[in-house]
Amino acid sequence: MTNSSKTLKKEKNQDWVLIQAGLFNYPVEEGQYPALLANRCTSCGKSFFPKRTLCPHCFEQGEMEEITLDRRCVIYTCTVVHIPSPAGIKAPYAYGYVDIPANNIRVFALFTGGDPYSFQSGQEVELVLEPIKKEQQGQQIIGYKFKQLS
Amino acid sequence: MRDVFIGGVGMTLFGKHPDRSLRDLGREACLNTIRESGINPKEIEAGYCGNALAPALQGETGVGQNVFWEIGINRIPIVNVENACASGSTALREGWMAVAGGFYNMVMVVGVEKAVMPKGTMLNVGAAELETRLGDVFPGYFALVAQKHMERYGTTREQLAQVSVKNHLSGILNPYAQFRKEFSLDEVLNSPMIADPLTLYSCCPNSDGAAAVILCSKEKARNLDISPVKITASVLTTGTYENQQDITCWEVEKRAAKEAYNMASLGPEDLDVVEVHDAFTICEIVHYEDLGLCPPGEGGRLLDERATELGGRIPVNPSGGLLSKGHPVGASGVGQVVEIAWHLRGQAGERQVKNARVGLAQIMGGSKEADTRACTVHILVRE
Repeated sequence: MTNSSKTLKKEKNQDWVLIQAGLFNYPVEEGQYPALLANRCTSCGKSFFPKRTLCPHCFEQGEMEEITLDRRCVIYTCTVVHIPSPAGIKAPYAYGYVDIPANNIRVFALFTGGDPYSFQSGQEVELVLEPIKKEQQGQQIIGYKFKQLS
Repeated sequence: MRDVFIGGVGMTLFGKHPDRSLRDLGREACLNTIRESGINPKEIEAGYCGNALAPALQGETGVGQNVFWEIGINRIPIVNVENACASGSTALREGWMAVAGGFYNMVMVVGVEKAVMPKGTMLNVGAAELETRLGDVFPGYFALVAQKHMERYGTTREQLAQVSVKNHLSGILNPYAQFRKEFSLDEVLNSPMIADPLTLYSCCPNSDGAAAVILCSKEKARNLDISPVKITASVLTTGTYENQQDITCWEVEKRAAKEAYNMASLGPEDLDVVEVHDAFTICEIVHYEDLGLCPPGEGGRLLDERATELGGRIPVNPSGGLLSKGHPVGASGVGQVVEIAWHLRGQAGERQVKNARVGLAQIMGGSKEADTRACTVHILVRE
């Protein structure tokens, strides 16, 4: 069993819940870096995050293998949103897409930490796992975000 | 494949209709269309209805049957179509295929929506998507497109704002438009920031409204007392969802446009009037480029040259576009074709594009994986 399915079983007694199962391992074990879980088609080599069941290019011919996305992430484009999101995130906040060059993949990225306007395309950022909205009472929804390199 | 003609068009005022139901708005658009064509509603052999949000906002399904019931159309196939902002234009294409394929000689297409909500209500229709739960909002994705377009091509905030200024100027001349008010460049630039660089007046409003079109065969069109307009291309396609696509253009739109131009044996240089999906200012600039009105990256320059204004080389959104006319989601795609038909027949009033013979309407709907779920392109020609 993977760690994520273990954590799902424990959810009822916890004050947090994952935004979606299978995106990352949480909590992060001591001495480990947080990482996004993806898969890759062994036939064409394309990577997918979140994981796909079938490779859309190879269908049954491709077998999917589990991978962990590389830590090096570069902002492709970003914006600052000034309206509250349906997800309950307080404005202003920054989001966009990051490219992960080692895996040839682009990932939706909510940015955290620091001035929302300090994020720029071309900047390197790193993955963090934290509550999507900070001031929420009760059960926290744990998502993935990116922050500037510390 | 048979030729398909526009047998009648009609619409309601786009805007706020708090006291009117979907079926009420739909009935008005259908009645206007039937009256102009002079047909008997019983001649309609099939009905197609585009609507995107009624199940979510009004708790109403089967909107097509409700609307056609209002005008006494029954005993025929009626199809409800949902394709986000392209719902109406997808319904139109379904009707077009049915007549082109020889299944029916006369069909009716209606698009209808009530999207005006109490102030502060968030449109929560993407809740199933991971991106939405991580903070993605409608204007945000288009702001990302704008950011990359500015970074790569040097497109300016002023050029973006000029789309809104231009379309509001045209909207003043359109009695069906929600906003008939001029906005200066400064007013657009200094309106509240929504998602940088898109300000409030860079975003289209939520609207209520309906639009309808009768489609018919050549034989049927001959008996009608309206000047014939032919739909020479009707294309619907879906994104590739390829990861790491260039976000400064829409591959899906370029592909749809190419297919439509091939189908019509025409090119962008042949167009006299164009209606595009300007839900946000940046969209119109990207549509210029994807439809081939100018090379990639030069959409901003086209605005500087005033080429797409009324009276310019290739007027775009003479109706005022969604920015000024309003965006009743499921009705918008049908409303664009109504507008083009009016121009080709010389019935567009003060905003008439002179001697317009060829028109194009483009709209797309829904985001997925930073790509587009549905994109339609229609080309209309005056016979």
